[in-house]
Amino acid sequence: MIKKNSFIAVISLIFAYACTQGTRESAEKQLSDTVKLTVASFLTAAPNYVNKPVQILGTVSHTCKHGGKRMFLVDENDSISVEITTGPDIAKFDEALIGSRLRVFGILKEERIDEKYLSEWENEILKPQPNHNVGVHTGAKGHVDQTSQDKLDQIAAYREEIKKSGKDHLSFYSVEAINFEELK
Amino acid sequence: MQRRKLQRWNNALHRDLGYLFFGMTIIYAISGIVLNHFKSGAFKHPDYSKSFWEFTVSRPADGKITKSYIDNVLKEAGEEGHYKSHIFSDNSLQIFLTTGSITIDLASGSAYQEKKQTRYIIKEFNLLHYNNIKKAYTWYSDIYAVALILLAITGLFILRGKNGILKRGAWLTAIGIIIPALFILFYA
Repeated sequence: MIKKNSFIAVISLIFAYACTQGTRESAEKQLSDTVKLTVASFLTAAPNYVNKPVQILGTVSHTCKHGGKRMFLVDENDSISVEITTGPDIAKFDEALIGSRLRVFGILKEERIDEKYLSEWENEILKPQPNHNVGVHTGAKGHVDQTSQDKLDQIAAYREEIKKSGKDHLSFYSVEAINFEELK
Repeated sequence: MQRRKLQRWNNALHRDLGYLFFGMTIIYAISGIVLNHFKSGAFKHPDYSKSFWEFTVSRPADGKITKSYIDNVLKEAGEEGHYKSHIFSDNSLQIFLTTGSITIDLASGSAYQEKKQTRYIIKEFNLLHYNNIKKAYTWYSDIYAVALILLAITGLFILRGKNGILKRGAWLTAIGIIIPALFILFYA
């Protein structure tokens, strides 16, 4: 009986090791094939890589405390920040990551903000119940504690930006993380 | 005879599920209270307790941020050995620590420190409650949810007589359904 159980355990271990190795190797290959972006180059490069795999290096400046579904990467200067969202295999970004330097591997996403989006957002704000899931998450300090008036001002500013851009929308780019590693 | 057999199965199922999921119920109950209240008062984060204070630090010589300046700030704040990284903008410097962060207004030297401590155990409970583990835990928590339904249903039929579902039990069960219904009616 013990012999039989040991045999099953050994087979399971070999199988588990083989699976892990395969996954690791394919992930490493994927990682080396993807385009490398920096926080500073992100905004200019992003339109060329929408829905494509990318990797980006940066320091975590903020994680959203509502379930940790978002974090923001900056370089040494915090004037530009890149939004990273959790992909299907990442449950949350723990607050302990704040201040850590990460290499994030993921898919670059574009979110388009147009008049329809802004009108819906405006209607949500004017409802009495607060809804954290709508609106644009900027990662700026205090963005979670914005009042309704702050949000309405933000909507007005976006409308103004759309008008100035000459297009019918604004594009916001983020990376949906597949995995990440902490750099020491 | 058939009825007595059913009663025995009902009670046995209720008993065993109760034993089996005692741990999960306590975890979800404690974490539920924490998650219900984490936005009120100073209770800002469910996984970490945080304290804040202000103090003044020396300003950098020539306005340059150097490693030795950061080391000095950490010494003044009593946070040597906790450095992780730092970022700066035109007028402020933010030093990230393993224990929180310090934000310094470089023009005035005023510093704002956030110190956090992990709420061990509660953090792990929240991890389970939010299902931030995913993978096989999703299935296990689904099983727990089904077990809760079974516990509720089998619980109705444990006792017979004046405390059973047809007498006292009927009233209490009805009240238990009406209370959440009233919340939906008046608040939703």
